[in-house]
Amino acid sequence: MSLFELEQVTHFYGRLCALNDVSLRVDPGAVGLVGQNGAGKSTMLKILLGLMRPTAGRGQVLGHDIRKSGVQLRARVGYMPEVEMLVPGLRGVEFVALAGELSGMPRRHALRRAHEVLTYLGLEEARYRHHEEYSVGMKQRLKLAAALVHDPDLLLLDEPTAGLDPEGREAMLELLNTLAVRHGKSLILSTHLLGDIDRVCESVIIVHRGTVVTVGRIEDLRAQYRGRFRLQWQGQALEFLQDLRSEGVQVVVDGRPDEAIAIVPEGWSTRTFFALADNRNMVLCGLQPEMEELEHVYHRLVAAQSPDGARPVIASADGGAPDEFAARRLDGD
Amino acid sequence: MAIELLGYRSWRGKLRAHGWACWPIVRTGLWIVLRRKIFWVLLALGLINFLLNFAGIYIISFLTTQNPNIKKMIGGFLEELLITSGKSEEYLDFMFRQGTVTMLLLAFAGSQLIGGDYQQGGLAFYLSRRIDRRHYVIGKLLTIVSLVLLITTLPALALFFEYGLLSDSLDYLRDNMRILVGIVSYGLIMGVGLSLLLAAIAAWVPRAVPLVMTWACVFILLPVVGENLRHIHGNRMWRLLSFWRDLRLLGKWCLDALVLERDEDRLAYWAAWIVPAICTLCLIAFIRRVRAVEVVR
Repeated sequence: MSLFELEQVTHFYGRLCALNDVSLRVDPGAVGLVGQNGAGKSTMLKILLGLMRPTAGRGQVLGHDIRKSGVQLRARVGYMPEVEMLVPGLRGVEFVALAGELSGMPRRHALRRAHEVLTYLGLEEARYRHHEEYSVGMKQRLKLAAALVHDPDLLLLDEPTAGLDPEGREAMLELLNTLAVRHGKSLILSTHLLGDIDRVCESVIIVHRGTVVTVGRIEDLRAQYRGRFRLQWQGQALEFLQDLRSEGVQVVVDGRPDEAIAIVPEGWSTRTFFALADNRNMVLCGLQPEMEELEHVYHRLVAAQSPDGARPVIASADGGAPDEFAARRLDGD
Repeated sequence: MAIELLGYRSWRGKLRAHGWACWPIVRTGLWIVLRRKIFWVLLALGLINFLLNFAGIYIISFLTTQNPNIKKMIGGFLEELLITSGKSEEYLDFMFRQGTVTMLLLAFAGSQLIGGDYQQGGLAFYLSRRIDRRHYVIGKLLTIVSLVLLITTLPALALFFEYGLLSDSLDYLRDNMRILVGIVSYGLIMGVGLSLLLAAIAAWVPRAVPLVMTWACVFILLPVVGENLRHIHGNRMWRLLSFWRDLRLLGKWCLDALVLERDEDRLAYWAAWIVPAICTLCLIAFIRRVRAVEVVR
C-alpha cells in the first residue's frame, strides 16, 4: 500500500491557487517535502493531516480518504509542528500524555507511554518540569514525543531542526534517521534545509508555485547528473586535457591548476582516463565521480520548471539561513 | 545514551471512541486552574460564605429544638446574612454571592484556560490530534461550567440537603423539589452564560491583563452605565445592560422568587431573550476564532 496518493488535487484560498492539479503517489519511507515559502507545502500538509478538504481532487493517506476521514487519519499520523504548540501550565510528561489521550489512548496507557517516549528521546530527567522551563532543543524533542506517543505509522515533521544548535540538529537528525531506518516509521519531512532531507530521506517531493516539480528517489534524481568526474593530476596536463576534449569530453577547469571537472559522453569508461594519461606519461592521482548536492538538484529542477529560469532562494545545505548566495553561486557568479 | 539503551517500542492498544476526546480537555483545564494559588484563595473566599451558611443552618436547627428564646434573639440578625428559613430567595442570594467569587476566578482563569491556547499554540496542538473543533469548544466550555458549578451550585445543593436533613422530618425535601430544580437550573444558566462569555472574550483578548479589564468592563462598567441611564430616562429596562443582573433575574425565575411589585416578571421576560442572544453571539464569536486558527503555519 502506498503511503499517500493525491489525484488531481487543487486548492484555492479565495482566488489564490495554492495547489494546482497535483497528482502523486508516494511509497512508505522517509520523504522530504521541499519548496519555497508559498510553494504549497503547508497546504499539502494540511490536506495530508485531514485538516482541510481540497477544493478539487481526491486522495488517501494510509488508506484513509482525505475528504472524509480526517479524524481517523490523525489517529495514525503524528504531527510535529515548526512553531511552538504547547498547552500552558503542564509538565512535560502531562503534555505528552495529553497528546496520547487526545489521540484516543486510554489514560493509563497514555501516561505509561509518555514516560517511555520521553525516556527514549532523552528527556527522562526533565519530564516532571514545566515545559515553559525547557530549552529550544528540549521543546523540539517534546514536540516529537507528542507526535510519537500514540505510535503513529506516519510522522509529519515541519522544520524539526528549526532553532537547534549544531549538536542538537545532529542529534535530532540521528533520531529521525533511527526512527525511519530501524523502526520503520514513515516520515514526511518538510523543511527548507536540504541538508536535513539529504541526511534523513530517501525520496523527495519538490513543490514550486503550487505544482509538484518532481517526486522520486533522491538517488534517481542525482542520476541525471552522472557522468561528471573530478580529475586531479601531477605535472603538466595540457596535452592530456586536449586529448580528452578530442574524445568528446567537456573539460571545466575551475580555479586550481591541478584539477578539472570532466563531463563525459554516454558509454564512457573511466579506464579511458588512465589510458590517455598513460599515453602522455602523466600521473592521474585523483578520479572522483562528482556528487550533485540536493540543493543543486532542487535548483536545476525548479529552474527548468520556471519559464524565466529564475532560481528560487533556498537554505544552504549546511543548515544555514536562507541563502541567496547559494542560488547565485549555482548561476556561476 | 537513553536512545541506545532503551530503543523504541511500538504500542498496539485499542483506541477509545472518538467522543471521549472532550474529557481529557476538561480534566486538563481543571487541573491547570486547580494548580494556581489564586484559585485556592478565591475558593477559600467562597468557602467562607458556604461554611457560615452551613454553620448557620446547624445553629438555627439546634436552637429551634434546644432553646427557642435564643433563636428568637439572634434569628433576626442571622436572617439577613444566612440561610435560616430554607426559602428559595435565600439560596438565590447565596448563589449570587458565590457567583461574585466565580466571576473573579474566571477573570483570572480565562487567560490560562483559553487565552494561553492562543498565545502558545495550544489550540493548534489540540486540533492536530484525533479531535475536531467541536470537541475543543465543548471541552473548554465544560471546563468553565464545571468551575462555576463547583463554586455555586454544589455548595447550594449541599446547604439545601443539610437544611432538609436537619429539619424535623424529610417533608422539607419532598415539598421543595422546585427549589432543588431551581438551584440546578440557575447554576446551569450561570455556568453556560459565564462560560460562553468568558470563552468569547478570552479567545479575542487572550492576554491576562486586557482580559481582566474587558471582563471588569462587562461586569462593573456596564451595570454602572445601565444604572445611570435608568436614572436619566427613568426606565428600569436599562438595568438589563448588566449581564450579571440578567442571569440573576433568570435565577429568580427558576427559583420562583420574582418580586412582582418591582415589575421583575417583565424584566425576566426580556432577560430570557437577552441572555440566549448574548450566549449565541458569544458562541459564534468563539467558534469563529477557533476556526480561524491554522494548525499548519
